[in-house]
Amino acid sequence: MGRRRSFDVDEAVEAAAEVFARRAYDGVSIDDLVTRLGVHRNSLYGVFGSKRGLYLAALRRHVDQDVRPRLALVTEPGHVPAWDLLLVAAADRAREDPEVAELVSAVLCEVDAATGGPRATEGLLGRWLRHRAASGEGAPDNDDGPETVPDGED
Amino acid sequence: MAVISVQDQDLVVEMEGLDKLWALKSRLTIPLAHVRGATADPGIAGEPKGLRAPGTHLPGVITAGTFHQDGEKVFWAVRDGQKAVVVELADERYTRLVVEVDDPREVVAMVEQAMRR
Repeated sequence: MGRRRSFDVDEAVEAAAEVFARRAYDGVSIDDLVTRLGVHRNSLYGVFGSKRGLYLAALRRHVDQDVRPRLALVTEPGHVPAWDLLLVAAADRAREDPEVAELVSAVLCEVDAATGGPRATEGLLGRWLRHRAASGEGAPDNDDGPETVPDGED
Repeated sequence: MAVISVQDQDLVVEMEGLDKLWALKSRLTIPLAHVRGATADPGIAGEPKGLRAPGTHLPGVITAGTFHQDGEKVFWAVRDGQKAVVVELADERYTRLVVEVDDPREVVAMVEQAMRR
């Protein structure tokens, strides 16, 4: 095929997930991805086909590696999930992309099953939303880590 | 400028005006099954184009025609890079098309929708 693939695809997808989670779909250009992923532009197109192809790969990876393995944690009191890409995708991209909408809906059903129902899921997502707003620039408790279960709070 | 449309099961790319002359091609017809995706990508205009054969390349003015790079064959028809759309292909003479369109966002949405049908 004559196509070069001199990069780690999984690492690139992981990095893309982080970029898309922070800046949403339209806020990310191919220039941004080429710079942040350290991937040649033609290789990016060769492997993923398009920006959307990379986005879908990033979202699926996020769901399989960040969301599903941690569903058991959702019932812990005060738990805040680190599911930024999933939730940004729900708010941002699902309206325009039926494949994203389908994946997000399916995962939210799994979250419902893990939490015990939609009401509990809503509480969980509400905590995530507050946490995301509070952990922006300049906030005193900026936590970029994975899943958080605050302790010592009322 | 190129006009991209979906006709039955094909993606049709038609060059307009003098771009037919510069690109030495007036129309490309690609089965939708061979389209891997479309992306609005203004930054691609600044990338190396590879070897031109045949076509027209006046840096900063126009890139049109067939270009070879890293074993890939790419069709270009771009004057204004801000309106460049990249269409990635499979099992075609060209690995990808880089063409200028009037409304990149609209064209990308149309191609993505057609691919889902």
